[in-house]
Amino acid sequence: MLIDFILLFLFAGVPYYLVFENIPVMRKDKIFPLAALLVIAGMFISYQFPQETSMPFVMVAFFASLFSLHKANQTNNLCKLTYYILFFNAPLLIMFKTKESILYGVSLIVALMGVYLMGKYYARSYGSPNYQSVSGITLVTPYAGLILTVYFTALALYPPFPNALLFLNGILKSEISILWYLIVIVIFFGNFLIAVRVMAKTVFGKPNDNVHYIDISPTERVVHLLIIAVLLLLSVIGLQEVLS
Amino acid sequence: MSILEKLNAIKDTVPHYWPIGAFIHHNPLKGFEHLNFKEALIKAQQTFGGKVYMDPDYYIGLFKEGKISSEMLEKNLLRVLKEAKLERYLEQAKTFMLEVSPLWNSYRSYEDLKINEIDETLHSYLEENAIYKDEEAWIASLTKNMTLYEIHDALFGTSKKELIEKDVIEFVARFLDQQQTTLSMTDRDLGMFETFKLYENIDYIIDVEEFVQEALDTLKVQDVQTYFLTHILKLHGWAGYIKYRSESKEYYAQQEHPSTLMDYIAIRLHFEVKYLRKKKINDFEKLQAYIKSNTPYAILKLLQAKGKLTGTYNDAMEEHQDYQEIVDAYAKDEINLNSLQVQLAQKAVQLDDMMPVAFSNFANLLKKEEGFMWLKSLEDSYIATHVDAFTSPHTYDKKPLSSTIFCLDVRSEVIRRKVEESGPYTTYGAGGFLGIPILFVEFDKAHALSLAPAVIKPENIVFEIPVESHETYNSQKSVTKTTKKVLSDLKNNPYTPYVMVEAIGWLFGFKLFGKTFFPKKTHMIFSKSKPVKPKTTYTLDKLSEEEIEKYVKRLHTNIINEVLTTQFGTGLNSSDIILLWEHLVFDKPLKIRISSDIIDNLKQAYHITSEDYEIQKVNLAKVGFTIEEQVMYIENLLKMIGLIDAFPKFVIISGHGSCSDNNPFESALDCGACGGSISLPNARALSMIANKAEIREKLIYRGISIPEDTRFIPALHITTTDEMTFYDTEILNTKELELFLGMQEDFKNASLASREERAKVLPNAKNEKDLFIKTMDWSEPRPEWGLAGNMGVFAGPRDSCRHMALHNRLFLHSYDATIDNENADILTRIFNGPLVVGQWINLEHYFSTVDNKVYGAGSKVYHNVVSKIGVYNGNYSDLKIGLPTQSVIEEGKAYHEPVRLLTYMEAPLETVAKAVENSVAKEFILNEWIRPVIIDKAAKKVYSYEFGEFIVIKELV
Repeated sequence: MLIDFILLFLFAGVPYYLVFENIPVMRKDKIFPLAALLVIAGMFISYQFPQETSMPFVMVAFFASLFSLHKANQTNNLCKLTYYILFFNAPLLIMFKTKESILYGVSLIVALMGVYLMGKYYARSYGSPNYQSVSGITLVTPYAGLILTVYFTALALYPPFPNALLFLNGILKSEISILWYLIVIVIFFGNFLIAVRVMAKTVFGKPNDNVHYIDISPTERVVHLLIIAVLLLLSVIGLQEVLS
Repeated sequence: MSILEKLNAIKDTVPHYWPIGAFIHHNPLKGFEHLNFKEALIKAQQTFGGKVYMDPDYYIGLFKEGKISSEMLEKNLLRVLKEAKLERYLEQAKTFMLEVSPLWNSYRSYEDLKINEIDETLHSYLEENAIYKDEEAWIASLTKNMTLYEIHDALFGTSKKELIEKDVIEFVARFLDQQQTTLSMTDRDLGMFETFKLYENIDYIIDVEEFVQEALDTLKVQDVQTYFLTHILKLHGWAGYIKYRSESKEYYAQQEHPSTLMDYIAIRLHFEVKYLRKKKINDFEKLQAYIKSNTPYAILKLLQAKGKLTGTYNDAMEEHQDYQEIVDAYAKDEINLNSLQVQLAQKAVQLDDMMPVAFSNFANLLKKEEGFMWLKSLEDSYIATHVDAFTSPHTYDKKPLSSTIFCLDVRSEVIRRKVEESGPYTTYGAGGFLGIPILFVEFDKAHALSLAPAVIKPENIVFEIPVESHETYNSQKSVTKTTKKVLSDLKNNPYTPYVMVEAIGWLFGFKLFGKTFFPKKTHMIFSKSKPVKPKTTYTLDKLSEEEIEKYVKRLHTNIINEVLTTQFGTGLNSSDIILLWEHLVFDKPLKIRISSDIIDNLKQAYHITSEDYEIQKVNLAKVGFTIEEQVMYIENLLKMIGLIDAFPKFVIISGHGSCSDNNPFESALDCGACGGSISLPNARALSMIANKAEIREKLIYRGISIPEDTRFIPALHITTTDEMTFYDTEILNTKELELFLGMQEDFKNASLASREERAKVLPNAKNEKDLFIKTMDWSEPRPEWGLAGNMGVFAGPRDSCRHMALHNRLFLHSYDATIDNENADILTRIFNGPLVVGQWINLEHYFSTVDNKVYGAGSKVYHNVVSKIGVYNGNYSDLKIGLPTQSVIEEGKAYHEPVRLLTYMEAPLETVAKAVENSVAKEFILNEWIRPVIIDKAAKKVYSYEFGEFIVIKELV
């Protein structure tokens, strides 16, 4: 029971960001690293103390997830979006079996880490991680456009990106119930809709004449290349897991 | 002022859009030609948005390539600086133009704002002049050119614009459809507005103007004229096409399904009222009240909708912070950024002795003027180079075997040069359509093509008639036509494609596969199955009164016979049919017994009446030319190009056309002066006329003596492959044919050389053979560069420019000022036809290049043909006007160099002045929409017309 409580908190099953968002010292761009760290801690604990998932906790996480979906749809800020997406996926982390949960969690954090770094790049180049006015980046900043496309395609659960494969792996190996159906459907489409909404406003569309576009620097490209390489590695693992 | 008058006052802001099947190049800013070019561009930018000059980067690139000379740039800079009494800063201004201006926007950086101190005086100065102080004016500037539904969308995050524009386009496209669909909208003959009423269940009696007034009242529109313009600009492609139709009474589709711009406005306003009806803010009064009570929020939402709000403020908006504080912070930051921009620019220019406020004005002046300065410097640089070349002495052999008169086009420059290099041949360029406007009815076609510039209405009909047996051709053609019709019906019907794809879809796979991977072989296979057209001739002479009557009588009696036998099963002998016809047409007493039903049917359904008899006679009277007209057209052509004596053995009159596959813009590559059609019929008609002995006799009295043994041969220049095909060569005797065949061989070599030269600049063409593939490849978006690159026109003797390799960039019109009269009639004709068309082509290319989104058609990749009148993006969008990106841009960079038409005229200044005065082109010449340059060899001076006066730019030795 105690472990369930701890995991519910660590796996982002409780939207504690509501508190952090109102603490100036935390600032929005520090919430994701903290949340990711807590999820990793949760993975470690669940690995050390494997146990059956308690359905009431999953349900709590699911309601929190729906709230995060709503929040994700309200924001155009990439940094905020990262922890909203993480919290949105929390029920899966709690519901999946330990190994599947860890794998899906890792791929989710890696993809979100990429988005988070893109948010930092936005903040540097355009004053804030908010992408509302920075549309059509594929045409004017092709590297940034390509990288953001990769991350959001992964988050939209398109195969062969690892999120999709590990999501499939998780649902194939978990026990089926009505709640299972509900969560899987909502989170599958939710991820897709959030990602597509962001892509429509960033990588697609017409470039904004009022914005002076700056593409990502060569150093940043290397960092993102590494993240994409990790995603590729996770894809291979995901494929092996699905086929096993 | 009535609402119709208000609409008429603004409608010319949008240009005509001709149907794509007869693509007419046009100036998208035609409605602004009453203004000086520079002034008009400022106004157009305020109206349409978008760019009117290229970016500084582009011009700097040309400067570095040496295309813009430093001397010209300095000259133009100095003029601007002198007016502002800043000439001592010439060097700094040049540095600003070349180094600072491209980085101008990057100086507005939030990062730099953190590390730079803002000059207080400059900040106060900019704050004083900023719009942010007056919130009312700020809102007015933000809502300029916005409809109520757009403002609603911006303020409340709705998507009414998408719904309204989609509904408007859907209705308009269906109403204007020209048989693209098999399920046409019904009742279109009632007119656009009346059909719309049926479509939208508007069941009360109201005319269009009352309806529009009602909608304007509902929306509580205050400035109706401006609101009409705002609406028209939303989909200015569709508006331009409807405007063209409504002003072209002879346009068949308009006669069948009438539409007006007022109808279009009524439709737009109807949907606006409909979609806003249930909204809280559904008229301008409510909107104003809302904005008044929520001013900061409204400003922020409008800024957000226009993409002017940066991330920090968007974050603050999301967090619902105090809106007034956000607005204040935004205004403050904007002024800080503007100050920073000026300060950093000043630092870069190293103009330390100038106060920041003065530098701000200096920089603003240069930014305001730079587009025009760069453009003029580019033009001036070309003019200087060209003038030097035009005025350098050259002499050529005066005894050619042939002279080829090319229908004027930039694309004939290379082939002309190559023909001249290949042997004893000279060439001429003659105003498009070769000066003979005709309504041409091609053999086996039912409709007449207008082969003349869009501004000229031809009065003479020419029929193409076969001179040899054509039964096989007819039967093959009939099979092809039926097959095409069946396939088209199956394809466009909403139900049949499902079955069709399953049943016969695979058959198309062969063509699809072949055309994609083996275009040449596939083309050969399919062209073999095409019926071969029989040899034909033209009806060039007028019909006599008796012949006209005979033909009308024959037409009517044939109809009567057909109707009686097929519909009523009553066969009459020919004499009875004539009696019946006389009764119907001349009201003669009927001596035979015929039911009144038949008589009524013939009168009402088949128009066998005295009125129709007269109409048919008038129409037939238009067939052919009188002898005087024939003499006049030949005389005009020959005098226009200065060919009045020393005729060679062969005079080739060459029309031109293009060849490509799967290309809705194909007619844009044909002859612009022939209404976007091939100009071969004009060439054939003129050649036939010129070969007549009686015409030549009459020409002698007009100072043109054509030797008896000179032969006029028509030809067609295919601009895609530079091949030249000759027609009507059967008039040549054996000896002449021998000479002609030798000449033809030289022309073939010239074509080859021309292709080799052109292949070097055409993307994905490794050698000249690839140019043929481009005509057959259905995935080829750029079969040729067409008129891209056009930059000028030269009217003068060929000898002045024969030595110049102009790479298909100039229209070369032959003109000999010494044979022009005092009234400059010949030059006036050149101004009225070729120059007008040249200016349209030039400015169409100019604006499609500087801003393809606003004035061009965008990428061909997304185009779908709509209603057989044009193309749009995807499944609905504005009708795409202008040229596609593939016509002017290569891999993101402009291939076409946008400059105004550099118009060189080798003639005395007085002759040119007279021609300008008499010409329809006077307005755009004097308003500097072209760059007139006069090479007056007699006065030994070269003049350029700029800033309202002729200035001497070169003294000739």
